[in-house]
Amino acid sequence: MSQYDALFEPLNINKLTIRNRIVSTAHAEVYATDGGMTTDRYVKYYEEKAKGGCGLCICGGSSVVSIDSPQSWWSSVNLSTDRIIPHFQNLADAVHKHGGKIMIQITHMGRRSRWDGENWPNLMSPSGIREPVHRATCKTIEVEEMWRIIGDFAQAARRAKEGGLDGVELSAVHQHLIDQFWSPRVNKRTDEWGGTFEGRMKFGMEVLKAVRAEVGPDFVVGMRITGDEFHPDGLGHEEMKKIAQYYDATGMVDYFGVVGSGCDTHNTLANVIPNMSYPPEPFLYLAAGIKAVVNVPVIHAQNIKDPNQAKRIIEAGYVDFVGMTRAHIADPHFIAKIKMDQVDQIRQCVGANYCIDRQYQGLDVLCIQNAATSREYMGLPHIIEKTTGVIRNVVVVGGGPGGLEAARVAAERGHKVTLIDRADELGGQLVLAAKAPQRDQIAGITRWLVMEIERLGVEVRLGTAASEEMIKALNPDVCILATGGRPFLEQNPEWGAAEGLVVSTWDILSGKVEPGKNVLVYDTICEFSGMSAADYLASKGSLVELVTDDIKPGVGIGGTTFPTYYRSLYEKEVIMTSDMLLDKVYREGDKLVAVLENEYTAQKEERVVDQIVVENGTRPNEDLYYALKPSSLNKGQIDNDALFDIKPQPVLAEEKGAGMILWRLGDNVSQRNVHAAMYDALRLCKDL
Amino acid sequence: MMLDWLVPTLISVLLVLAGIGAVRRMNMWRAGQAEKVDMLAGLLAMPKRYLHDLHHVVDRDKYISRTHVATGGGFVLAMVLVVFVHLFGVDSKILAWALLAALVMMFCGALFVYKRRINPPSRLSKGPWMRLPKSLLTFSITFFVLTLPAAGVLPEGFGGWLLTLVLSVLILMSLSEMLFGMTWGGPMKHAFAGALHLAFHRRPERFGGGRSTGLKPVDFGDGVSVKEVLGVAKPTDFKWNQLLGFDACVQCGRCEAVCPAFAAGQPLNPKKLIQDMVVGFAGGTDENYAGSPYPGIDLGHAKGAPNQIITDGLIHPDTLWSCTTCRACVEECPMMIEHVDAIVDMRRFLTLEKGSTPNKGAQVLENIIATDNPNGYAPASRTHWAADQNLPVMKDVKQADVLFWVSDGAFDMRSQRILRAFVKLMKAANVDVAILGDEELDSGDVARRLGDDATFQSLAKRNLATLSTYQFNKIVTTDPHAFHCLKNEYGDFGSDALQNVEVLHHTTFLNRLVKDGLLQLEPFKGGKVTYHDPCYLGRYNGEYEAPRELLASLGIDVAEMERSKFRSRCCGGGGGAPITDIPGERRIADMRMEDVVSTGASMVAVGCQQCTAMLEGVVEPRPVVKDIAEILAGQLIEETH
Repeated sequence: MSQYDALFEPLNINKLTIRNRIVSTAHAEVYATDGGMTTDRYVKYYEEKAKGGCGLCICGGSSVVSIDSPQSWWSSVNLSTDRIIPHFQNLADAVHKHGGKIMIQITHMGRRSRWDGENWPNLMSPSGIREPVHRATCKTIEVEEMWRIIGDFAQAARRAKEGGLDGVELSAVHQHLIDQFWSPRVNKRTDEWGGTFEGRMKFGMEVLKAVRAEVGPDFVVGMRITGDEFHPDGLGHEEMKKIAQYYDATGMVDYFGVVGSGCDTHNTLANVIPNMSYPPEPFLYLAAGIKAVVNVPVIHAQNIKDPNQAKRIIEAGYVDFVGMTRAHIADPHFIAKIKMDQVDQIRQCVGANYCIDRQYQGLDVLCIQNAATSREYMGLPHIIEKTTGVIRNVVVVGGGPGGLEAARVAAERGHKVTLIDRADELGGQLVLAAKAPQRDQIAGITRWLVMEIERLGVEVRLGTAASEEMIKALNPDVCILATGGRPFLEQNPEWGAAEGLVVSTWDILSGKVEPGKNVLVYDTICEFSGMSAADYLASKGSLVELVTDDIKPGVGIGGTTFPTYYRSLYEKEVIMTSDMLLDKVYREGDKLVAVLENEYTAQKEERVVDQIVVENGTRPNEDLYYALKPSSLNKGQIDNDALFDIKPQPVLAEEKGAGMILWRLGDNVSQRNVHAAMYDALRLCKDL
Repeated sequence: MMLDWLVPTLISVLLVLAGIGAVRRMNMWRAGQAEKVDMLAGLLAMPKRYLHDLHHVVDRDKYISRTHVATGGGFVLAMVLVVFVHLFGVDSKILAWALLAALVMMFCGALFVYKRRINPPSRLSKGPWMRLPKSLLTFSITFFVLTLPAAGVLPEGFGGWLLTLVLSVLILMSLSEMLFGMTWGGPMKHAFAGALHLAFHRRPERFGGGRSTGLKPVDFGDGVSVKEVLGVAKPTDFKWNQLLGFDACVQCGRCEAVCPAFAAGQPLNPKKLIQDMVVGFAGGTDENYAGSPYPGIDLGHAKGAPNQIITDGLIHPDTLWSCTTCRACVEECPMMIEHVDAIVDMRRFLTLEKGSTPNKGAQVLENIIATDNPNGYAPASRTHWAADQNLPVMKDVKQADVLFWVSDGAFDMRSQRILRAFVKLMKAANVDVAILGDEELDSGDVARRLGDDATFQSLAKRNLATLSTYQFNKIVTTDPHAFHCLKNEYGDFGSDALQNVEVLHHTTFLNRLVKDGLLQLEPFKGGKVTYHDPCYLGRYNGEYEAPRELLASLGIDVAEMERSKFRSRCCGGGGGAPITDIPGERRIADMRMEDVVSTGASMVAVGCQQCTAMLEGVVEPRPVVKDIAEILAGQLIEETH
């Protein structure tokens, strides 16, 4: 008896029974680092999802079938060799053991990659047109190469089948080789592999036939397609319906996965993995359109994060399966928590896109708020076990993400936890981050942590500035300082922070300082805070110039997030200026003058404005730390060998009562990010 | 001497009056429906049933059991000897001395009866019952004095006329109570009706350590001639020996003390219910009833007559719908009265004839009829829970060692966790198991307890027809309600589907697996654990040990609740009670959770999905509720490949 019954109605894909309607769709994990062979880390990552109840995992986004589709850039899985088969067997066993099913996406990426590494291949495309996102130049593919790649697809599918996987998904989305042939934007051929509709379809059709012939009728073969490329010269929705019908009519495709948007430009790429600025399920209508014309199940992901949302989509019959990939990155026990009637305990994805933005930088996929994800192999737990040892009195100072996570984990371990924060609201810098336009959902990180510490009975003291006396009076066994930092405006005395000539982004976002009419935002950090402050000011009607000494504003923000900032800033006519550092600020009448200096020419320019906002990072609030350090048992030190090895801190072996253990984490040590603070909190406290 | 003729005369008159009363009383019982009883065998078995079975129940309260042996035994012996010594005038010192001894024994017993009546617990009825110890003392003292001359201790004709007068009055008083009262409705009625009830009990299987808990099926006739009434509408619709059973009540209130509905302030008191049955078949009102009322319903307004509809003025239907069918009352009743049978009989009339099952009752029954499950889920979704379990289905495999009867927990997300845990354990032990899949139907438990025996019988017959097409040695279920139906109630429908099949609760089955070393389990390291005995596993089927042995196998030393094993308190989930949902002052599940909390346990182990649901419905913070299968599965050492 559950409101979520619709999600738990099993459905077959071909002959494969999927236990529920929730799918983790294909994404590049960037973990298959051993020459494209899946690693223990890879297996444990998917096993955790299967353990958590996920119905179907489609792993290995953009796993390659040929040696000339480079896999090393994203460390994707390499299916071009039989060496992969035993690795797949481990993977399949791990997932099947928990009742889950697992398939892999296979592809040749054509021009959508980088050629400057590994085997240094010539990239290939139907008509040799360059791909902008990867700055990838390529050759025009020849017919012999096409047939060889078609054969490679079939062999890759065989390897998946022999490895015990439940199916393969042919990627014909994200401008890989199959849909490069489909899209008139890229396929300008006039031979039998282009031109007419059938011509553009031919390569994909030959791949499908060859794969089906190799694996037989019962092995699942799906196709992931776009619902609309959103390019005037690309594939539109009606065209995609026609394509889906065309392939569906062969009876050889067992399901379609539908993705809204093409992605060979920075701007369309941001659509593919919609961040927190997007509404829920923005492209469901495209998937529903495809579902209306095909006879096999349709899977759709993209900004479906909430069980109620998923259930509504399934109940309404828009699609047959919902992809909840980032939802599972944030919480691989998503399904289990629904089943345990613990929906409130689901750590919900907030769309920060830390995962995918790391991936586009060639870094392993991590979750901004769940440090255990993809670190299962190291022994970092998603479910924190209660300690069987001594119960400690733990005091955490600072209620930002690091402090909250420390309090949560310590409380899950069964300790008595007190959390003290100077502010009247928990969340630390996340409170500020959520004030910016389109960034409100970042507060979801705080919301979950706060709900958890409430559930776990952590004593919270807000509006309380912790002092050395107060901490000592509380007599903690462990004191964790996560008191963060403060804006670092005094680095250059010429900015005049002491005289109040400049203010910080915190002052603006917190509402402490009213937005000026004509504002210069100077951002040396080039991550979220400067962009957010500029966007906030512009949205309040300020005329804003965003200046940085770096190579472009927001350069530190990843590939799926800077575009949504740019959309917003350009629309509000924010002027973006690069390569200029803020030399000094002085007052002239009721105006402020900002003196800017070009990094490369030393040429100076002046701006006459009403307000100057500086984002120059933070300095740690470390007074309390140094006050407590001398009398602490461990002199405030963290054993990095143990920390990095996910082992208990040696000081925990000391008898309780030997003295106070003191640790600090997060920006209270040095400025890093949410993930860094939460990772330290988790690995320090999981063995408390 | 006046006493020489007065005593035999009084004894004779009262014996005759008692005889008349007995005939009159028996006629009241005979107004009930016919029921085949082996009278002779019953009468022959009666002493043993009394001395063994009944005494076994009474003996749970050592005080009253010893008191009753002395008083009752003393009285029976004394009365027999009185007849010889004082009625027939047999002149024997031995008999007289024996009579004196019996009277002393009775006197001692009566003193303890008296003592208990000084400040009686609330469960005991007052009224005439307060008089009884005095009557007992009077009887014993009077006849003691009367017998002294016969024993040669005092001379004949001692004491003069004043003593003679006093003794005469006392003889009249005590014999009125002991003989006349026995058959004319006094407290001593229990001895007369109780003895006959033991002889003619409707469930003779209960005696000699047996167990008989399955409800008797409604006879729907041959489908052509329609029976006059389905279930019990009027007192005379009960079987005659049920009426006899009601008359046996001693109003000790042990049933009242254990009734969860009474404790929760719902309008049910099993003792009052039985007394109302007596009011019904004897005619009259409840104004003389001197015990606790139904909570929330004042005394003095209930009227009944043998042929009057019971729910029209004698008993409010809410009283009948408050029962959870937990059998705590039946288990505690020293007179072996069958309260639950009576309640379900009357519910049958309300449901089958009047269609007045309250609250969600009618809807649930409609659901069961339409979808074969109480919550009206699509029948095709019955096996959704097992989509990832790779369980063979009987339709495909036709035979297996174990048929896993999944029950309607299949539709419930919480219960599915229990099912999955059990499957995990069976897989680990390499059990050859199959399920019926979508062919399984609701066992019919809820329909039957709600009085809809037609739907129950239909489900039972259809399930039996399905079962008869497959081969299996055991049928195992995690649901004690289905377990009870399969084991104790499906046998009435002339199918051989379950012949030579062992019906087992999963805890019994798992206990065998553990004992056979087929499950490798890690010791449990959590906090204190208590165990809640599900009614349909414990009292209905006597399985108290397997769950405890399983917990012990994990190294758990069960912190027992005061109300445990046969005295376990119901979770409130049985008998369709959560469906009919009669309001009370508190919830039964809350009270049960208080029992759990009082042990200091951080987890309560259960063996029933219904108990799990009820106990988990108690607001947090509270101890964790887990089925034993879940606890075991959590400790399972899985082979790693």
